[in-house]
Amino acid sequence: MERFFQYLFDGLSLGSIYALLALGLVVVFRGTGHLNFAQGEMAMICTFVVWQFNDWGIPLVVSIILGMIVGFALGAGVEATIIRGVAKKSQAGVFVVSIALFLGLNSLAAMVWGNLPPEQLPGLFPDEPDDFQRIFGAVWRYEYIGVLAVALLLMGLLFLLFAKTKFGLAMRAVASNPESARLAGIPTGIVLASSWGIAGAMGALSGTLWGGIVGELNAGLMFTVFIYASAAATLGGFDSPGGAVVAGLAIGVGEQFLAGYFPGWIGQEMKLSAALLTIFVVLLIKPSGLFGSTKVERV
Amino acid sequence: MWKIHEGSARHWMIRLLGVAVLAFVVVWIPTQMSSSRIGQVTDAFILMIAAMSLNLVLGFTGQISIGHSAFFGVGGYTAAILIKDHGWSPGYTFYVAAVVAFVVGCVVALPALRIRGIYLALVTLAVAVLFPTLVRWKKLAWLTEGSMGIDSVRYEDVPVWPILGELKGREGRAVFMFWLGLIIVIVTYLVCRGIVKSRFGRALVAIRDNETAAAVMGVNLTTTKVLVFGVSAALCALAGVLSTLKSGVITPDGQYVTLLGSIVFLLVMIVGGAGTLWGPIVGGLVYVLLDNTTRDIGTNDSGILGTLFGWADQSPATLILGLVLVIIMFAAPYGLVGLAKRLSRKVVVVIPRPAGTAKPS
Amino acid sequence: MSLLEVRQLTAGYGPVEVLHGIDLDVEQGEMVVILGANGAGKTTTMRAVSGMIPRSGSVMFDGVDITKTNAEKLVGMGIAHVPQGRGTFPDLTVLDNLRVGAYSRSADISGDIERWFEVFPRLAERRDQRAGSLSGGEQQMLAIARALMSHPKLLLCDEPSLGLAPLITQEVFEVLKKLNNDEGLSVLLVEQNANLALKVAKRVYLLETGSVVASGPAAEIASDDAIRKAYLGA
Ligand SMILES: Nc1ncnc2c1ncn2[C@@H]1O[C@H](COP(=O)(O)OP(=O)(O)OP(=O)(O)O)[C@@H](O)[C@H]1O
Ligand SMILES: [Mg+2]
Repeated sequence: MERFFQYLFDGLSLGSIYALLALGLVVVFRGTGHLNFAQGEMAMICTFVVWQFNDWGIPLVVSIILGMIVGFALGAGVEATIIRGVAKKSQAGVFVVSIALFLGLNSLAAMVWGNLPPEQLPGLFPDEPDDFQRIFGAVWRYEYIGVLAVALLLMGLLFLLFAKTKFGLAMRAVASNPESARLAGIPTGIVLASSWGIAGAMGALSGTLWGGIVGELNAGLMFTVFIYASAAATLGGFDSPGGAVVAGLAIGVGEQFLAGYFPGWIGQEMKLSAALLTIFVVLLIKPSGLFGSTKVERV
Repeated sequence: MWKIHEGSARHWMIRLLGVAVLAFVVVWIPTQMSSSRIGQVTDAFILMIAAMSLNLVLGFTGQISIGHSAFFGVGGYTAAILIKDHGWSPGYTFYVAAVVAFVVGCVVALPALRIRGIYLALVTLAVAVLFPTLVRWKKLAWLTEGSMGIDSVRYEDVPVWPILGELKGREGRAVFMFWLGLIIVIVTYLVCRGIVKSRFGRALVAIRDNETAAAVMGVNLTTTKVLVFGVSAALCALAGVLSTLKSGVITPDGQYVTLLGSIVFLLVMIVGGAGTLWGPIVGGLVYVLLDNTTRDIGTNDSGILGTLFGWADQSPATLILGLVLVIIMFAAPYGLVGLAKRLSRKVVVVIPRPAGTAKPS
Repeated sequence: MSLLEVRQLTAGYGPVEVLHGIDLDVEQGEMVVILGANGAGKTTTMRAVSGMIPRSGSVMFDGVDITKTNAEKLVGMGIAHVPQGRGTFPDLTVLDNLRVGAYSRSADISGDIERWFEVFPRLAERRDQRAGSLSGGEQQMLAIARALMSHPKLLLCDEPSLGLAPLITQEVFEVLKKLNNDEGLSVLLVEQNANLALKVAKRVYLLETGSVVASGPAAEIASDDAIRKAYLGA
């Protein structure tokens, strides 16, 4: 039982990071109908930015907020300048451009921060060996509790934004029917740029949380998280924000269980594959994810 | 503007001229260039083959795949295992690799029967992620030798082909791999061309343009999709074998065995021109050229690029590649071949034969 | 001065020009209908007026030149457009659809919402249902109500009767007529059901492959034998 809760707690915390990035993917997809392949790399760059601000002596919390602002600007800027221009001409072009961004941002990070000694991003939460709480016999580190709390808080705020604000209404309207949204006077350009911006800001936070757990920053920081996040968005349904969150948490928990209970066959190195295979099977039964609507066919 | 009729003497002259120039370049490269340059051209061949195979599935059938690196890896590993564990002669592994990959491709196609669009993209992405982890898996280490990979699987002695003369040592092997690569490029091109111009090819395009309509018109979606995935995987495996024989090793982190491989194939295909027969060929050439010219920028600190990038901790090659890709997508959203077609139409117009007058075949 | 004054309007899609210089007016408080065969360019005219597609020529609204104005801005200036067929937000609830309709206004809108619920009681019963799950007729009502939420001076209405049962069509037209009579709402209407349109409209434009081929008071057009034969099927 103790093991059960241990895997559950670890899985929830890690899963909340996947969920955060997955939510970014979903927000972008709902807005402009694209898979942003560079989502993880944008998050990675922003994490370095957070580290840089912090390294210059700015308090970590402020650095994180600044990093999220940079993430917003990056996402919105990319949409408004590059994505929109290419999307007018060819949809396949958008995919290439997001891959180009993926490559370019990765390279940029390596160029700027590549040869420094492994960066240590200070954790946002107390992370001494005895900073933990025992719940049902399982160890829950404060850092993991903190990550889960921050991620859930941000996701909660986002859902409030979606559901309760006029801007959120505009975002949903644009996602549902962009043409009529324009006719209703919604500045669709600003809304679309903002959805990319919001995704960028969430990426910055997920990167920072993940960086705190990993401890070391490098250009490959977010790659696996991006795979997990894509898996979560796929499993949840690419146009369903709630689905992304549920699926992100489920994948986090599921992989811990798989790795923990089958150390011989699956273990740490095969847990991602096992998770992917499971999703594969789910998709065969529900081809547009658990909570996605079936009309989604664009790439 | 210059108008010529399809099938007229002039039209054939132009075609012949094109073939002559190509043939000249093709002979010039292995006889006049250094072996490392020849090797780069062979790299371009490898990319062309992989991108052509992807083009069948994505460009012509509209089924997105980010999983072709797995087929590439299946080919490479099949060859390596046969050579290393079973003492096969390299040349025969091509056939087996193609067959194995064909089967794998058909299996991967099964989800494509139900899953579409972005979900299919992510499923194939999962295939690309799965393959290297499977290869590395300790339960399979007896076969794949885990993360060490399999080495010394190149041609020990280059087979003697009278037409090429005697090829010896490193240089000889480079020249031989060039010719081998060229042959596979041509074979792949002919297979793709044959498919695209056939009834089967029209079924593919019908699926791409409107799946429901295609089904109504009597296209069997299941067989068509499964077959095209199988053929595409088999062709991609050829590229994998070629690459393994060229470098002599294959590892789970190998150049095109990981997800990155799928991404490169995709870039090559789209930059060249998706859904065109020549697109992947042009794309492969451009990609290798771009890669080789940008790779060294910033490492030797001279000239304007040195001043620009001297501060960087790493070469800006990939960044520049990214920028160039963005520019290409703005300038040529349908790829370079698409752009070339549009531009050349301003100079020469080929008037097609009136329908129904083609020679019966 | 007319409320809407269109001169030499040309527009199209990409390289294809669909409208070849259209002149059209809508007076304050007037209901005008555009008739024409399928593909004549009626929808394109509406889209060009509301700025959804690139256009050239001149479009004046309420004395202001709006030829270069973005579609998004026009709602605030008083033009509401119910597009052909798909004017609702299928993933949003009925209530949210109406809220989106009032996006350009900052005033309290609960009164307006109640008002349209009274006019279309069918919508009131389904206020928390996704618009996509409404019947075609209900969606058309919702699209109109959504457009009216912005308090327009001019309503562009593209085939409101599309797919509606005759009785429902009657109902929708009565609502439009009433708004036009009682509140002086100007309406530019596209309609296939010419007989019905001629009854409610004051003036008519007849469109044929992107040009106006006839125009005039509804009564005159309705009594012109040649036109009757060609367009009204009687
Ligand atoms: N998005 C588009 N892209 C290219 N051409 C278009 C587009 N929409 C319409 N057209 C063309 O413009 C012409 C006019 O179309 P339009 O939709 O304005 O006709 P309409 O009069 O509204 O017809 P209907 O009564 O069928 O609604 C048609 O020939 C059509 O093919
Ligand atoms: Mg129309």
